This record gives sequence, C-alpha cells and structure tokens, in this order.
Amino acid sequence: MLAKLLKYELPAMGRKLLPLYAAWAVTAVFLGIGTQSSASKTDFIAVMSILLYTAIATAIVVMSVIMIVQRYSRSLLGEEAYFNQTLPVSAAAHIGNKLISATVWISVTALVALLTGFLILIGMGFIVGFDSFKAEYIDIPKGFWGLSFEMIILIIASIVKSVMQIYAAVTIGHQAQNHTTLASIGAYITVLVFEGSAGRIVMGMIPSMTKLIYGAEELYGPDGILNFTGIFIPALLTTAALSAIYFFICKYLMEKRLNLA
Amino acid sequence: MAIIEISGLTKSFGELRALDDVSLSLEKGQIIGLLGPNGSGKTTLIKILNGLLQPTAGSVSINGMAPGVGSKKIVAYLPDRNALPDYMDAKKLMDMYQDFFEDFDRERAEAMIRDLGIDMKQTMKKMSKGTKEKLQLCLVMARQAQVYLLDEPIGGVDPATRDYILRTIISNYNEDAVVIISTHLISDIESVLDDVIFIKEGKIVLHRAADDIREEKGESIDGLFREVFKC
Repeated sequence: MLAKLLKYELPAMGRKLLPLYAAWAVTAVFLGIGTQSSASKTDFIAVMSILLYTAIATAIVVMSVIMIVQRYSRSLLGEEAYFNQTLPVSAAAHIGNKLISATVWISVTALVALLTGFLILIGMGFIVGFDSFKAEYIDIPKGFWGLSFEMIILIIASIVKSVMQIYAAVTIGHQAQNHTTLASIGAYITVLVFEGSAGRIVMGMIPSMTKLIYGAEELYGPDGILNFTGIFIPALLTTAALSAIYFFICKYLMEKRLNLA
Repeated sequence: MAIIEISGLTKSFGELRALDDVSLSLEKGQIIGLLGPNGSGKTTLIKILNGLLQPTAGSVSINGMAPGVGSKKIVAYLPDRNALPDYMDAKKLMDMYQDFFEDFDRERAEAMIRDLGIDMKQTMKKMSKGTKEKLQLCLVMARQAQVYLLDEPIGGVDPATRDYILRTIISNYNEDAVVIISTHLISDIESVLDDVIFIKEGKIVLHRAADDIREEKGESIDGLFREVFKC
C-alpha cells in the first residue's frame, strides 16, 4: 500500500513545487547574465544579485516547507482525511508515505539550490565549464568521498528527523479541539525543548560512545581537527532514535486518538 | 449474524455528550434510515464507525472487526463534505479508487458518471458543489461493499438527481450489504427504507422496521418524525 500511496503523493507535491523550481532556475540564470552583461560590472551589482537570489531561494525553501506541513495536515488531519483515513491503509503507511515524499522533495530542493547556485556563477562568467571549475576549485583531499558519503547520510537522517519532528507537533496539536495551529506551534516548541535536553545528554555520552564504537580515545585528532567519523555513528543513532520516537507518537495518536473535527 | 454491533457507545466533546450509551445491532440485507435533526449525533455515529472519531466509552464492530484497515476494506463511506483532492479529475479519482479498493467496479462508476453528465476531465476544483457531491456518490456506490455509510447523500442535489441517487442505492442493495443513510430529508427517502432509527440528543429513541411503523402508527415515517422531533 505504501507504493500506491507514493504513486499519488509524489506527483501531488511535484505539481506545486516543480513550477517553483523552474522559476528559481530561470531567475538564477537571468541574475547571472544580468550581472555579467551590465556595463559596469561592479561589486555592488554582484552583491545585489546575490542578495536577491538569496531572498528568492529563502522564499522558495520556506514555501516548500509550508507546503510539506500543509500536505500532511490537510491530508491526514484535515478535510481530505475524510477520504484518506478511510482508505484500507495503516497509519504507519500513511505517515511513511508523507515522510518519504517530504524527504525526497526537501532533497530535491537542496539539489535545485546547488544547481541554481552554479547557474548564477556560470551566468556571471565565473565558471566557463566544468573542467575549468574542477581545475580551479577542486583539489580533492584524501578521504573526501568517504567523508562526503557520511555527511550526506547524516544530512538525510537530519531531514527525516526534522520532518518527523514537525509531523509529531502537528499531530499533537490536532488533539486540541480548537486552535489546532496554535496548539501545534506550542507542541513544536515543547518538542524542541525535549530534543535540546536529550541532545545535551547524548552529547555528553558521545566521547564514551566513540570509544565504544571505534576504540578511539579522543574526538579530536592530533592536528586538533574534529574526527567527524568518530561522531558519525553516534550522531546517526541519535537522529534515528529521535525520528523513531516522533514516528511512534504520530502512529499512536493516529491509530488511538484520531478525532477529526 | 449482525454485521454492525454497537454496544454502550458514548462520545463526549468536553461537556457535550454527542452520543449517550447507544447500542444497536444491524443485520445485512437492509436499507436503514438514520434519522434525526441537526446535531442529534448521526454524523458522530457514522464517523466512529469509520474510525474517524474514537469513542469515549463503549465499542463498535463491523463484521467482527473494530474500525481499522480490515473494516475499511468492506465499508464504503460518503462523508457529509467534499473530501476528495481538488486537483484530481474523475478519471484520476477512479484510478485511485481502483488502486485502493478491490471491490471497486470501474465500469459501473463510468456508467454512473456518464448518466449524471459529469465531465471526466474536469478537476474537482472547477466543479460545482452539487457535481462534486454526485461524483463522490458515484465513486462510493460503484464499490461492491458490505457496508455503505452515506452521510446526507441527497442534501445538496436537485430533485432529479435525488431520484437517480435513490435508484442507484436500491440497485446496489443486495443480501450481503447493509446501507445506512443519514438524513433529515425523510420524505425523499422513506420509500426505500427497510428499517428506521430515530436519534435524538445522542440517544436512540426508536428502532423499528419501516413497515411496522406505518402499520402500527398508521402514519408515514415523515409524519412520525415530525411528531417525535416537534419543536
């Protein structure tokens, strides 16, 4: 059933987000070209272009997040829930569907941000082609790919955790019979406080967890640089555990405490 | 054996008691009218049967199952509002029903949609309120479900469509299904009812066969309703 839900959920998000991405890319190209073709290519124009681009990018990222939250709220706790919650589908599949879709679209948003950044640099004439970019900017250090892989995994895990954190707050907020938006915001702040407290406890445990997992004595190498690999698994485990807690809060409330207005 | 069993069902919203110790046993092969004025608890009862509300006390079972994935496979529900995604057209909605409900009869749905003159390519967003209701009803009635829970199915449609809807409900009627129609437009539906439940302030005040009411009381169900719920 999860695959069937995704078949409808991914395009439903895409139909709203893809036009935004297209507009974002076109804006990036025009800003880049505009800056390059301006008669006096000054730092001022370049700074203004970057500021404008940042404002547009921020607006699109915020809109994407709002859409993701609205989609969850309307589909599973709002008007459309009168249809979706009567499908023969488990609460876990419903939540998983929304989570996968949100993670995919947030990841795509991040990729589009990178891509549009390149487009603006190409438009401004800083990059002529990938080879020159590679020759000029990329000096791949040893262990780069391994570290990158670990970071990507951790970023995806963090996206999953952040999405589940929001979903849990929205689901808790809908337990209130009135003012559900306000209750959801209150729940979100409570969740953040809980996570902050849990985070402090876990951070205190990381050195001993690192020692346990890797046998490493220190979090920092002899050169004083943070041993990222040393905190990768503890950080991943913590993020996964928090995601699981939020997932089960949503699942429990949807199965046992669902009360559609 | 009863297909729907409701025992000591109570639902409170704060101080308000929407359902108060309701117990019912409903058999297959009937069209049942769940009749009561606005705010009497009809929609609350139907929502609990669908698992959209949780009881404060008591229990419900559908074919021996508590509301959940199993019961949702056999229950066709028409809500009292438009719940379908507004960016979808009739074709996409039929695809969706076909994907999720094994008992969905696509040919029947297409025939009903054609009969009612609904444009297959028009999105829900562009449809009138009445057309949305008709389309929703077509999709629900095209299922070969064991339980139909229809919340105000004729409330927002014209009299000609009302007749079509009632004919559709009757033609779907079979010995393995129970149809529960919640409404306060009694005169329109009383001719199709086998069984009648009157609900008032969250309590069942009458549960009888429609023919028994007519014979014993010597009046129509609509007449009895007006008498029981007189303001």
